Amino acid sequence: MSHTHTHGNPGDTHHKAAPMVEEITDYEVLEIAVRELAIEHGLFTAEDHRKFTEWAESIGPAAGSRLVAKAWTDPAFKALALKDGLTACKEVGVDWAEPTGVGTPSDYMEFHLLEDTPTLHHVIVCTLCSCYPRPLLGMSPEWYRTTNYRRRLVRWPRQVLAEFGLIVPPEVEVRVEDSNQKCRFMVLPMRPEGTDNWTEKQLAEIVTRDCMIGVALPKPGRTADVHPIQKARRPVKSSAEEPANE
Amino acid sequence: MSENRIAVLEATRKQDKAWETLAPRYGVTNPNPPWKTSLTAMCDCLAVSGALPALERRNTEDELAETLYSDIPSPERELLALVHTLVSRGLVSEADLVSRMKTVRARLEAV
Repeated sequence: MSHTHTHGNPGDTHHKAAPMVEEITDYEVLEIAVRELAIEHGLFTAEDHRKFTEWAESIGPAAGSRLVAKAWTDPAFKALALKDGLTACKEVGVDWAEPTGVGTPSDYMEFHLLEDTPTLHHVIVCTLCSCYPRPLLGMSPEWYRTTNYRRRLVRWPRQVLAEFGLIVPPEVEVRVEDSNQKCRFMVLPMRPEGTDNWTEKQLAEIVTRDCMIGVALPKPGRTADVHPIQKARRPVKSSAEEPANE
Repeated sequence: MSENRIAVLEATRKQDKAWETLAPRYGVTNPNPPWKTSLTAMCDCLAVSGALPALERRNTEDELAETLYSDIPSPERELLALVHTLVSRGLVSEADLVSRMKTVRARLEAV
């Protein structure tokens, strides 16, 4: 059965191993087998694989949350983040040059922060594949990779956002930013009301991954992204807005 | 590409051992199987070396995700699509893969 274990001092849960099943599936065997063959055939080295594995394990949305919280509380940092995103990232511990010294082949070292305003809401997508600001947000959620999200967001952004529970008022412009193989984007949402005098740590807790993608808004008390996986479907036509033909 | 089924991958997919099915049977809440990060790293490594550029991999994955492997959840679908692409391009042979899977399983089950 599953098990967990900890390293270091009793009660230290920072390095708690994630529970796994004690059953060896063909998927697990397949991944190991193809990796070994790829290394033997010279497609990549074991050293490179270890380097990228360690990097992939180290990234997550917490860095993006810290960046947003710092931008909310430090006007000078916000100005820097909007002007020079890569330099601002270093101030929250993210170097886009990792793990190779020139970044990864999937994370081009060009990054822009998209500032929301009372009249403008941003949301990011990659219509071409699944480009995503991995150094800041970690691995993309599965729904972000689906053709369903990618195709429909650019056509019917308000409807897709509504499926995430985000109703954008008609007076607010919705701008969909498409990653283009050369640049990565992340949303800088507006600081919500009710957070005066909060610390950066408190603020970071409400800046979830979805807020930085643009499919949710930060608000006090909301600290996790939970939503169902959406099945592909066309939006319901309304008299006010007819979806375009594909 | 999607018309060419690969026997060893068909056998793998038919076992109904995708993580989203398997994990609840054991009461495990970890969202990803133990090999997920390694798979991600493998994709990065193949892109860095030029053996399989990221965009080509993702285009093929999209195609296979809507055809052969449309009923397979992620991340198993990503793995099947990657291996399917490597075999289809002759970068890894199916015979080698079948053989290596046997030896890998034997190693893992040795203790």
